[in-house]
Amino acid sequence: MMTPRKLAVKALRYTLIGILVVLAGFPVYWMAATALNVNSQLYGTGQVAWPQLQHLPDLVTELDNVPIGRWLFNTLLIASGGTVLSLTLGALAGYALSRFKFHGRGLVGFLLFMTQVVPEALILVPLYAMFITFGLLNSLWGLILANVGFSLPVACFVLKGAMDAVPYEIEESAIIDNCPRFSVLTMIILPLIMPSIAAAAVVSFFAGWNEFLFASTFLMDRTLWPASVGLASFVGQYETPMSAVLGAALVFSTPAIVFFLLIQRKIVAGLTAGAVKG
Amino acid sequence: MSASGLRSRSGLVKLLPYAFILPPMIYLMVFMFWPLSRQMYMSLTNTRIVNPNRGRFIGLGNYERLIEDPAFYVSLKATLVYTVLTVIIGVALGVVAALAIDRPFKGRAVARAILLFGWAVPGVAASLIWLWMYNERSGVFNRITELLGLGRFSWLTSTDYALGSVLAVTVWQVAPFVMLVVLAALQSVPQEVREAARIDGADGISTFRAVTLPHIRPSIQLAALLVAVWSIRRFDIIYLLTGGGPLGSTSTLVVKLRQTAFEGHELGMASAYGAVGLALALMVAAIHYTAEQRRMKRMSR
Repeated sequence: MMTPRKLAVKALRYTLIGILVVLAGFPVYWMAATALNVNSQLYGTGQVAWPQLQHLPDLVTELDNVPIGRWLFNTLLIASGGTVLSLTLGALAGYALSRFKFHGRGLVGFLLFMTQVVPEALILVPLYAMFITFGLLNSLWGLILANVGFSLPVACFVLKGAMDAVPYEIEESAIIDNCPRFSVLTMIILPLIMPSIAAAAVVSFFAGWNEFLFASTFLMDRTLWPASVGLASFVGQYETPMSAVLGAALVFSTPAIVFFLLIQRKIVAGLTAGAVKG
Repeated sequence: MSASGLRSRSGLVKLLPYAFILPPMIYLMVFMFWPLSRQMYMSLTNTRIVNPNRGRFIGLGNYERLIEDPAFYVSLKATLVYTVLTVIIGVALGVVAALAIDRPFKGRAVARAILLFGWAVPGVAASLIWLWMYNERSGVFNRITELLGLGRFSWLTSTDYALGSVLAVTVWQVAPFVMLVVLAALQSVPQEVREAARIDGADGISTFRAVTLPHIRPSIQLAALLVAVWSIRRFDIIYLLTGGGPLGSTSTLVVKLRQTAFEGHELGMASAYGAVGLALALMVAAIHYTAEQRRMKRMSR
């Protein structure tokens, strides 16, 4: 039997959890509920508080007027391009930091840490000027190059952490057989740390997926807009029905929510590692 | 660190690490640190957006204008208040949430997933949801306050509430991250130590203060550092929710930078705002670094 005091503590704890869950979950619930609501209700008689699944066809028709497909395609290109680049460079840096002692190692660690402190906005203007010179303004390539500066270090932290856990003995015999070190990395080490590569890929991918500041500054051409910029263009304009706006936002958010929840621990490890060891 | 991997066999091998580290570092030099130093230099010029590659050196002229501009102090104050409050509220809520769901209960996995929503939703999508909830005429918040007889509020357009409203969205985003960091630390508190304290007659609160808190303090500090740095960096939700308004009450340095550059067309001036932002971020990092060093020293004693 529980004592009254213990029972009270338990009740308090569940109440607290309940309140926190409602606070954290409500905005996402409301996004779904709004997307599946009738527009006349949204502005007039009052929004129905629950999602009305019978309005799903209406939402699909409304979304036809929003170029969400094109936006998501651009987002996909930006996110995948950035992932490939930041994983490649991150693996090289991670291997160097995990396996070698060299002059400037401390400096490298410091610079990688700095990338996590510098506000993106600070290099916005110089990159803008640089991209004008090299014809990278208004191009997805330029945007990818800018994004990777910030996702590469996180990928490096995640991969270095995983490589540290691989015993040196595993690659030793290959090294004695004069196997090139680059092949040691790609053929021995990388296959052993696939889960961490996947985690680093997800982190880089969604950094590109969510990015807004660079994309909204460097891309003027509407056909190049990723979903983040496209969705932001709804702010302050009232022609698009709110159910379509939040329906599109829901489509945009769902992959991020799913993957963030799947690899939450790895993301946290990657984001915190740089600040601890820097 | 993997000490075994640090062995080197010959002189040639000494050059080997640079084959791996140079490509990524050159990349960062070109796309991060060269632009950054150029930004610092640009703050000493009168560069304008029509010709961003050409600007005349004007010394500290931009900074002199900055010191005399009341808008700068408004922006600095907004940044500081926003950062400090985000850290305090975000970290407090994150720690409370972590402690609440640390021990197993029925439905914990679901509760944990829902608690992470704010962190997982992209910033632009979060802005759109909250803009709709804050909507003055039809938003859910004003429907509730009207129902309660409190009337309607101008959540995002009144100087009284705008910063608080932006803060609420920010906390919704960062508190789950703090929770994850603290949860990871909580799960590494040795259960036997907690048990021992309890057997020795310590009640819940003193066990927490004597055993749990010292164990999770480094993680809390680390989370606070990251939340502070992100607050100084954050652009998307502030820009989309209020655009820095009303009357500059939410115009943090980063928002001000982007507006001065791309709406005011004064790149030199914008860079000066950026330099102040960078100084703030570095200060936060330095505080964290010093505290970390001191903790290491205490631990080794």
